Amino acid sequence: MNPNSLVTVPVITLVGPPNSGKTTLFNAISGQNYKTVNYPGATVEYSISTVLKNYNINAKIIDSPGIISLIPNSQDERVAVDSLFDVPNYGPPDLVITTVDASQLSRHLFLVKQLIESNFRVILALTMTDILHKKGLDISTTILSKNLGCDVVVVDARKKKNIDELIRAIEKNLEHTSAHGKNVPVPYNRISNKQDLLDSYHSIEEIESSVLYLKSDNNQVNLQAANSQLNILTNNQIKANCYQIDETTVKVDKILLHKIWGLLSFFLIMSITFTSIFWFAQPLMNFVDDLFGLLSAEAFNLFGTGWFGDLVANGIINGTGSVLVFVPQIIILFLILGVLEDTGYLARGAMLIDKPLSKIGLNGKSFVPMLSGFACAIPAMLAARTIPNKKERLLTIFILPLLSCSARLPVYALLIAFLIPQDRSWIGGIVLSVIYITSIGSSIVIAAIINKFSKSIIRTEDSSSFILELPAYRKPKLSVVISNTFNSAMLYIKKAGPTILAFSLLLWFLTYFPDTNPKVETEDLTDSEIVQLQNAERLSNSYASELGKIIQPIMSPLGLDWRVGVSLIAAFAAREVFVSSLALIFKVTGDDDTIQQSILKSMRTSVIGKTDQKLFTTATISGLIVFFIFALQCLSTVAVSKKETGSWRIPLLQVFLFTGIAYILAFITVNGMRALGIN
Amino acid sequence: MRNASELNFGEKVTIQDIDSSHPSCLRILEIGFTPGQQIELINKSFFNDPLTFSVRGTLIAIRKDEAACIKIS
Repeated sequence: MNPNSLVTVPVITLVGPPNSGKTTLFNAISGQNYKTVNYPGATVEYSISTVLKNYNINAKIIDSPGIISLIPNSQDERVAVDSLFDVPNYGPPDLVITTVDASQLSRHLFLVKQLIESNFRVILALTMTDILHKKGLDISTTILSKNLGCDVVVVDARKKKNIDELIRAIEKNLEHTSAHGKNVPVPYNRISNKQDLLDSYHSIEEIESSVLYLKSDNNQVNLQAANSQLNILTNNQIKANCYQIDETTVKVDKILLHKIWGLLSFFLIMSITFTSIFWFAQPLMNFVDDLFGLLSAEAFNLFGTGWFGDLVANGIINGTGSVLVFVPQIIILFLILGVLEDTGYLARGAMLIDKPLSKIGLNGKSFVPMLSGFACAIPAMLAARTIPNKKERLLTIFILPLLSCSARLPVYALLIAFLIPQDRSWIGGIVLSVIYITSIGSSIVIAAIINKFSKSIIRTEDSSSFILELPAYRKPKLSVVISNTFNSAMLYIKKAGPTILAFSLLLWFLTYFPDTNPKVETEDLTDSEIVQLQNAERLSNSYASELGKIIQPIMSPLGLDWRVGVSLIAAFAAREVFVSSLALIFKVTGDDDTIQQSILKSMRTSVIGKTDQKLFTTATISGLIVFFIFALQCLSTVAVSKKETGSWRIPLLQVFLFTGIAYILAFITVNGMRALGIN
Repeated sequence: MRNASELNFGEKVTIQDIDSSHPSCLRILEIGFTPGQQIELINKSFFNDPLTFSVRGTLIAIRKDEAACIKIS
C-alpha cells in the first residue's frame, strides 16, 4: 500500500480502443472539452483533469491514448502501455475506466480482459448501446459484470446520459480502494504467441454469447438453456445481428471509396477545405485588420507621437493585431478538420492515400498529420505519433515544415496583394493555389528523395503496415466540433501569442532606439510628412539597422536590403511576425487605411539605400514568396521536431536543408525574372 | 489455399488461419481477424490497395500484402 495514499488524490485512468467513445466520456466527466477520438490520433497525448466539480469526487482523471491491447507493437505503444501501469508522477492508477462499444463487444472486450488479468481495478463503461438496439439486440450488464468480475455501467456520453450511475460506481470503487488499499497491477504477459491470443478471443466469444440476447423476447436468457437446439438457432441469429455492418456506411463508401468518384470526392473535399480557409476567412481577417488599424490611430491621438505613443500604437496594438489576424483561418481549418473527423471521413482519406504515400516512404496514417500541417506544423508533428512505423513517422515529421502552415497565410496575403491589382483579386486566389500546390509537390519530391537515402538520413527501417478501422459514418455533433475548435484556437493564441507579441516589442525597441531625436528640415512639409521623415531617420540610426548591416551581404543577391533581412530574422519567432515587422520597420502609422494598405503604400515607395532603385518589385516579391514556401523559419517547430525525433540531427537537417533550398530557389527566381526582363 | 487479398466482392468466407510468419500477424489477430470469423470484401481503394473487409461487425482497412496472410477456405 502506498504510504501516501491518505494524502494523495486518487487517480482514475480512462482506457479504451479507438472509436469506443473514450474521449467523449472524458469530456463528459471532466467537464473539460477535448478532442473526440474517432480516429487514432486525437488522443496522442495524455490529458489530465479533475472530475467535474458538481460530482463531488476529489480525483484526477487521465485520458490515455487509444489502444487495442496491452501488447505493444511499437515503441510508442510501449510508452502508452507502460504509462498505463505507472502514470508519470502519480504511479499506478487507483481505478481504470474502460470504454467498450456495445456493438463491437468481442473486439473491445479483448482489452478489458487483459486489464482485469493485469489486476487493475476496472469499471467497464458500455457505450453505443443505441447501435446495439438498432441491430435488434440487447445486453445483460449483470451477467457481463459477473463474468468479467468488474462493475459494468451503461453510458451515453454524447447525450450525457447515465453519467450519474458511472459516478456512483466510481465513488463505490474509490471507497473500496481507500479502505483496502489500491490494486497493484502486474505487467501483462498472458499472451506470448498466436495460440494464447486465439484462446483469449475464444473465451471472450463465450462471454459475448452469454450476455447478448435478441431484443424481441426479454426473458430468454434463462429459457435458452432449456432448449439446446433453440439455443444454437438463437445464438446464430444473435451473432448474425451483432456482426452485421451499418448499411448506410457501406452505401456511402461505395461512392466515397469508389475508384473514380472516391478520388474525385477526395480532391473536391480537399479543395473545398483549402479554398474556404482563404475565402471565408478573408472578410473576418479584414475586420480584425481594420479594427487594429483604428485602435493604433486612436493610440497616437491619445498618447501623442512620442516614444510612448509609438510603443502603444506600433509595438503593442499592431503586435497584438498581427497575432489575432490569422485566428479566423485557424478556426476555419480546425472546424473543417473537426467535421471531417467526426463524420468518419478522415480514416477514409487515410485509406485512399495510403498507396501513393507508401510509394514515397510515407503511410496512409501520415494523412492526418499532413492535413494538420496546413494549420500548424507543431500539432501535426504530435499527430504523427500515431504512425506505428518509425521510419515513416520520422519521414512524415521531416516533410511537415514544407506544408504551408496558416502562419504563412498573412505573409502570402500581403505579398500577393502587392503583386495583384486591387480590382482583380481573384488572381490572388489562383496564385495562392499555385503556392499550395508547390508546397505539396515539394514535400512529395523531398520525401521521395529522403526516402531514397533513408538509411543515412532517417537511419531506421522496419516493416511497414497499414491497419485502420473505418468507423461508421455519423452526423457530426456540431457542439462538440465547435467547442473543440474553440479550444484549439485558444490554445494556439496562448501558445503563439506571447512569443509573437514579445518579438514585436523587441523589434519595436530595436527599430526605435537609440532614439536620436532626429532633426529634419520641416519647411514646406505637412505634419504627417514630417513624422514620416523623422521615422525614416530614426530607423536608419537604430540598433536594427546596425544588425541589418551584418546581414546585408546575404540579402543583396535576392535584390533585398537589410530591412527585409531583419524582418526575415524576426520571422523565426513566428512567420507571421514578418508582416508586423515590415509594418514596424517601414513605420506604418495607422491612418484611416488598414494596416495592410499602409504597408503596401510604403512598400511601393521604398528604395534601396540612397539609390532610386525600387526595393519591392515583382521579381523580389516573387523571390520572397518562394523563400517562404521552403524556408523553415519557426523556432517552435524546430524545438518540437527535436523532441519528437529524439535528437538534434533531424531538426538541424531540416533547418539547413529547407532554408538553403529556399535561399537558392529565391535567388534563381529573382535573377531569372530579371534576366527575362521582369523587374 | 486462397487468401483474403484474392477475394471477390460479395463473397462471404471464413478465415482458416493467419500466416504466423507475417510481421503484422498478431496485430491482424488482435483487431479481430481470427480463424472461424466470417469476412467479406467491401471496398478496394484506387490502385486496389488497401482493401476494406467487414469483420465482427466493423470495417477494417488493411494493405493487400497484409490481407494476403489471412488464409481463407
